[in-house]
Amino acid sequence: MITAQNLTRRFGQFVAVDDLSFQIDRGEVVGFLGPNGAGKTTTLRILAGFLPASAGHASVAGHDVLRESMAVRRRIGYLAESVPLYREHRVEEMLDFQGRLHGLSRNERRARIPAVLDRVGVLDRRTTLVGHLSRGLRQRVGLAVALLPDPEVLILDEPTSGLDPLQRMGVRTLIQGLADEHTVIISSHILPEIEAVCPRVIIINRGRLAADGTQEELIRTLGGASYVRLEIVAQGAGHADLLRQLPGVLEVIDDGVEDGLQAFEVHCDVDMRREVGALVAREGWTVRELSWRKATLEELFARIALELDDSHEAPAAEPLDVEAGGAA
Amino acid sequence: MKGLTTIYRRELASLFLAPLAWILLGVSLLLNGWAFVATLKSTGGDITYTLRIANGGSLFNWAVQIFLPPLLTMRMISEEARNGLLEFLQTSPVSDGAVVVGKFLAAWSFMAIFWLSGLAYALSLQLLGHPPDWPPVLGAYIGLLLVSGLFCSIGLFTSSITSAPVLAAFCALMGSVGILSLPWLVRLFEVPWLSDGVGAVDIMSSFDRSFLIGVLDTKVLVFFIAWTFFFTFLATRAVEAKRWR
Repeated sequence: MITAQNLTRRFGQFVAVDDLSFQIDRGEVVGFLGPNGAGKTTTLRILAGFLPASAGHASVAGHDVLRESMAVRRRIGYLAESVPLYREHRVEEMLDFQGRLHGLSRNERRARIPAVLDRVGVLDRRTTLVGHLSRGLRQRVGLAVALLPDPEVLILDEPTSGLDPLQRMGVRTLIQGLADEHTVIISSHILPEIEAVCPRVIIINRGRLAADGTQEELIRTLGGASYVRLEIVAQGAGHADLLRQLPGVLEVIDDGVEDGLQAFEVHCDVDMRREVGALVAREGWTVRELSWRKATLEELFARIALELDDSHEAPAAEPLDVEAGGAA
Repeated sequence: MKGLTTIYRRELASLFLAPLAWILLGVSLLLNGWAFVATLKSTGGDITYTLRIANGGSLFNWAVQIFLPPLLTMRMISEEARNGLLEFLQTSPVSDGAVVVGKFLAAWSFMAIFWLSGLAYALSLQLLGHPPDWPPVLGAYIGLLLVSGLFCSIGLFTSSITSAPVLAAFCALMGSVGILSLPWLVRLFEVPWLSDGVGAVDIMSSFDRSFLIGVLDTKVLVFFIAWTFFFTFLATRAVEAKRWR
C-alpha cells in the first residue's frame, strides 16, 4: 500500500531523509518513531505528495507520489502536525469544503459529515466556529477532515501532540477504531500512544532507518535485556551461584546490599519468576520483591535516539533492521 | 475545474466573513456616495460628469484601486503558507493553479461587487427619469474591473513570495503605485527612449482615453488581460516553488 524506496530529501546541505526504504501493507497500522528532527514529518510530507523527494521514489496505493500526485491525494487522508483548519468557518463548513475538494456529491456530504463528526465525537460542535474550539477538539475535527473522503491511507503527523492525557486517550481510542478500515501511518514521539495503537513500528534517526518490525520483535532483539528482579533480606552468601544454576538463566547480576536488602537481576529470555520463587521457597529466603522486568519500546527508542550500542557506550554504526534479518 | 470553484467559493465566503471586508466596503461606499451627491450638487445636476467621477474619473477611485486589492489579497497565500493551510490544499486533490486562480477570482469578484455602486447610481438615475449615457458607464465599469484584476494579481503574487501579510500588502502597494506612476516618472526625468514603451503601459491615460468614454480598445484590453495573466502565473509558480524549499 505504501512503498518508500531509497527516499532522500535534502534542504540545501542538510539531509533530512537519507536513503530511507520501507513498505507498509494494506490494513497495517504503523507507528513512525524518531526523536525531534529525525525526518518523520519530511517523510510523511513526501508520502502525502507535498514535498518532492530529492532522490528515490515513493508510492501510495500503487501510484507514484510525484508523477501521479492527484491520484495519491484522492486516496489519502493527511493530518499535518499543525492541524490546519480555517478558523473562520464552522466545523461542518470546514468538512463541507473538504468534501467538495474531494468531489463528494451533495448527498454523500450530507450523509458522511454527521457520521464522521459523530465518530470523532464532535457532532454536538458541528455549528461551532473552528477558531473557538480547544486544541483537543480541533485535533478531532482535523481527524474528521482527514477521514471524510474515506481514504485508503491515513497519514497522521503527531496526532496527539499538545493534548492533555485525557484528550490523548480519546484520540488513541479513536485511532484504534480506524485500524480495521484503513492503512494508517502515525508519527509520534509519545511512545505510550504508539505502544497502544501500532503493532508495527518504524524508527528513524537522523533521516535513516534505525529499526523496523513488530514491537515484540524489536523489543526482543534490540530493546535490551529482560530479567527477573529479586530483592531479599541479606543473610549468608552464595545466592547468586544458586540462581545461576537454574536452567534458562543467562546471567545473574548482583546489585549489592542496601538497607539490609540484597538485589539481583536474573537475566533470562522468558519470565522465570516461578522458578526463582520456587528456589526462594526452598532456600527459605525472605523476599521483598520478585518481579519481571521487560524491556519497553521506550528503552529501545532511547537506545536508538542516543545511538547507543549494547555496551551503551559507542554509537551504533549500522541501521538495525529486524525484518531484514536481525540486528546489525 | 470543480476544485477551482470550491476554492473560489470558500475564499469569497471567507472575505465576507471577515469584518475588514465589510468595513472597507462600508467606508468606501459611504465616501463614494457622499462624493456622488456632492458632485451632482456642485455641478448643478450634470449627470454625465458626476457618473464619470463616480466611475473611476477621480483620484478617490485610483486610491481605492491601489489600497483595496493588496488588503484583500495579502493574507491569501502568505498566511496560509505560514499556518499550514497551504499544505492542506497542496495535499488535496486540487492543482496549485486552481488554488491560485480560485483565490484571484474571489478577490476580483469582491472588487466587482465593490464597483457595482457606480452602476447603482446610474440605474437609480435611470429609474428617476434621467437616463444616463450608458456606454461610458458600462465601459468605465469594465475598465475598473480590468484595473482591479491587474492589481489583485499583483497582490496575490506578492502574497505568494512573502511570509508576512503586511509585507505582502506593502509590496503590492509599491508595485501598483510604481506601475501607475511610471509614465509620470519617465516624463519627469525626460527619458525619451523610454517614453514610447512606457506610454503603452500608461494605465491612467488608457483608462481615461478608452473606458471612460465607452470605447473598448482591443490593445488596452489585451494589455490588462496579459499582465493579469502574467502575475497570476508568477503567483502559481511561486506556490509550486514552496514545495521545493
